Amino acid sequence: MSTPLILLPGDEVPSNHLPSTKSNPLKLGSGVRLLSQPSTNSAASSHVLTASQAGILTTDAKRNTVSLQSFSNRRYIPTTNDLIIAQIHHSSIDYFHCIVTPHTAQALLGQLSFEGATKKTRPMLNRGDLVYARVSSVGLGAGAEVEITCVNPATGKAEPGGLGPLTGGMVFDISTGFAARLIRASSSSADHGDAIDGLVVLSELGKKLESSGGFEIAVGRNGKVWVDCSAAGDTAIKSTIAIGRCLQSTDDNNLNTTDQKKLVTKVLREMKLSS
Amino acid sequence: MVSAATVAPAAPQSLSLPPPQFARLQPHAYLLAHLSPPVASNQPSARANGRAPSQFRVTSANSGSLTHTNGSGMVRLGDTTAVCGVRAELLHTEDIPSWSVSQSSNANKRRRLADSIKLSGQSGDHEETEAEVEEDRAHIEDLNLLVPNLSLSTGCAPGFLPGAPPAALTQALSHKILSLLHSTRLVRAEDLRVWYQPPNLGPEELERHNDEEHMDVDADEAESKPAEIKAFWVLYIDIMIISLAGNPFDAAWMSVLTALRDTKLPKAWWDVDNETILCSDSIAESRKLSLRGLPIPSSFGVFEADAAAGWRAVVIPDGEKLKAEEKKGTVQKWILADPDGYEEGLSQERACIIVDKEQNGKTVIVSMEKHGGWTVDTEDLRQLVDISARRWDEMKQIMDQC
Amino acid sequence: MVGPTASLSTLNRADGSASYKCPATGYDVLGAVNGPIELPARRDALKPEDATVEVFVKPGNTTAGVGERYVEGILRSVLGKVILGRERGFPRRGVVITLAIVGGDAVERGDSYLTILPALLHTSLLALLSAAVPLSMTFSATLLGVTKSGEIMPDLSAADAKTAVSRHVLAFSSKNHLLLNESEGRFDFNTWEQVRERALSICQELTMPGSDGDVAMGDESDGSKVDGFVRETVEDRLRRDYTWKIDS
Repeated sequence: MSTPLILLPGDEVPSNHLPSTKSNPLKLGSGVRLLSQPSTNSAASSHVLTASQAGILTTDAKRNTVSLQSFSNRRYIPTTNDLIIAQIHHSSIDYFHCIVTPHTAQALLGQLSFEGATKKTRPMLNRGDLVYARVSSVGLGAGAEVEITCVNPATGKAEPGGLGPLTGGMVFDISTGFAARLIRASSSSADHGDAIDGLVVLSELGKKLESSGGFEIAVGRNGKVWVDCSAAGDTAIKSTIAIGRCLQSTDDNNLNTTDQKKLVTKVLREMKLSS
Repeated sequence: MVSAATVAPAAPQSLSLPPPQFARLQPHAYLLAHLSPPVASNQPSARANGRAPSQFRVTSANSGSLTHTNGSGMVRLGDTTAVCGVRAELLHTEDIPSWSVSQSSNANKRRRLADSIKLSGQSGDHEETEAEVEEDRAHIEDLNLLVPNLSLSTGCAPGFLPGAPPAALTQALSHKILSLLHSTRLVRAEDLRVWYQPPNLGPEELERHNDEEHMDVDADEAESKPAEIKAFWVLYIDIMIISLAGNPFDAAWMSVLTALRDTKLPKAWWDVDNETILCSDSIAESRKLSLRGLPIPSSFGVFEADAAAGWRAVVIPDGEKLKAEEKKGTVQKWILADPDGYEEGLSQERACIIVDKEQNGKTVIVSMEKHGGWTVDTEDLRQLVDISARRWDEMKQIMDQC
Repeated sequence: MVGPTASLSTLNRADGSASYKCPATGYDVLGAVNGPIELPARRDALKPEDATVEVFVKPGNTTAGVGERYVEGILRSVLGKVILGRERGFPRRGVVITLAIVGGDAVERGDSYLTILPALLHTSLLALLSAAVPLSMTFSATLLGVTKSGEIMPDLSAADAKTAVSRHVLAFSSKNHLLLNESEGRFDFNTWEQVRERALSICQELTMPGSDGDVAMGDESDGSKVDGFVRETVEDRLRRDYTWKIDS
């Protein structure tokens, strides 16, 4: 990508920047609105794409999508199929009421929306417990409730993998933009070592902490990241905190790949984790 | 509803709603139907309340109705009623913490000013010098000599409950009135000053002077010893909206105007022996305020024909195009003068124009505000200014009669 | 003339924030936007299908008073028109904008808020952009004064504003609509028309949309203010946030 096209609200998306495949319909991501241009002559009104946020225009020719990438600190707005980390607020007969973002309505998680859950085997979650869940519906219209689930209703499995209660570990707050980046980076492919979306911090940490047993990580689109280490005793806590610190300062300071590597080395040395 | 049955007995079977219910259920459609009647019906376009778009409600003003105040006024704008009382209290200059400092630093300026003010008293109308304007401003604004306070009384409209803190609207109106009092410089600081002219130096005092080094002091200088301000009148302007049916600002400001025009300040003087200020209780000796001009407000609300404009995902035409479309009539809107409560709920875009007229009849805009939308622009504002100027003539008559 | 300076996303915890400094008036405003959030008392707001916009203005040296209530009302009506409150996730929720006046002369009791209004408007726009709240368009505002001799003065300082015969704040959308006009003083309509003309050209300089489809903005912005500071500030920040993407 050479020169990014930056749009402000109200700007038209120039048509020569749109993916040219005609086979399947164009999908609109966040920040782009389809407006009709009321034309004076007859009913043939044309359509125009305009930006509703400030951001960099990104297109995906393969999936035929167009969206705007805006500032990373923005609030998370639930979208179907997003993976999020939610915290149980309280439970009622049918649902767990979960906090997804501060100061917003609680999301509903069915008591039986877990892998293999029946009335007898459902997980007993208490206030403050964490779940890794998928947004199953956001409802329609004003004041609609967000529903989340930890199971794929079609297969009855916790798909994609890892959905369900998160036990142990620790949650760190990151910006929503960084969370999206982490998800993209980890989902693309973890094995080849080069930077995806300019992120090397996780692969670097993985390499360095391999000896002490590695770690588990879950990234929620709502700006939360959960980290747990399997190592025994103090090392587990130390590594968890080290990982959290690395992620947060990569996010806050917008570090490039070399700085990320430096940061990992520095933090691990400070925490006396590097051998 | 019993009344409904009597109104429309002709078609009892069909689903028909009496007008008041229709107005509540579909306020936008109701007003739109009134403003754009079918061509066949041959009815003129009028608002739901029967007024033409640029017609104001019947206005009446009354002054001096509150007897315990220095001045009072009541203004009725249809069902919106505002009462205003002005109470004057004395503020001694010795009670002003920064007074002596600020006065000694510009004592010379003050002396010159005092002279020129005395002069101006004789010559009547004259161009004010910049220094005078500044002095006027400093006294009124920095010493807070005008204290308006507006309250929307409990029950003036359904939304006002007893014991609730002042609504944002109340506070905003109070501020608007105060800032308008300041920016129009309606009240003259001179009217609020209580002067004291130190007496001519008596012969014995002259002698005392002679004992000292001022051997060559002459009577002239003694005579021109500067007059000093001993106190100010502070005007507490309390406005109460006792009934609110839209357009509170116009009613409130005009009640302030009526009250200030009615305000009489008793003659006050510095009593040297008692070292205090005495006031005369004779009405004959009291004097009225001489206000600068008569700024009359006219408020407008914009009613857009397209109720679903906010829902429609269409390209918003830019400024010039919008004007062109309005001319063609594809985009329809009505600018409603003096909107009542019902119409205020249906208009987002508001405009308020305050005009005054000079002696020669030239219209001067004192304040012009519009916000909340993008449909009103130059051409509309020009028309609104003309309407406001006509409103000024009308209001001047009403105010002069009361 | 020195243009205004601004930076985006200065606060970490708010969903969006901006700080804005206007050299002519000396005002320095810090704005934060949170939204969409649940407003507990407004579940049954007047317009359930729309977002509620709340504006809070905090003066630098005292508690908010009647003047702040007044200016909050104006800001709310201008911003409410620009914010797309019906977009997904926004209806029935609130967008809360908090503006703190960090630097500059205090606005005294009864003073008109005109001198600071453009700074407040710009700060809230930038903060809204930073929070990625959907907007239908951007806007810009300017303060103009008319002197005794009838001369129109841009870049008024607070002292100039006091001596001017009339003062005007105008805000234009990026599509050249007159969004806001606040005028006070003594003037006639012809003067105002000239003021409008002048204000429009200043505002266009502030928001001018980039030439369509062509990204060669660097060439145009040399020497002239064509690109405008709103776009520039946003672009700077986005470029900084997405260096990883742009460089790769």
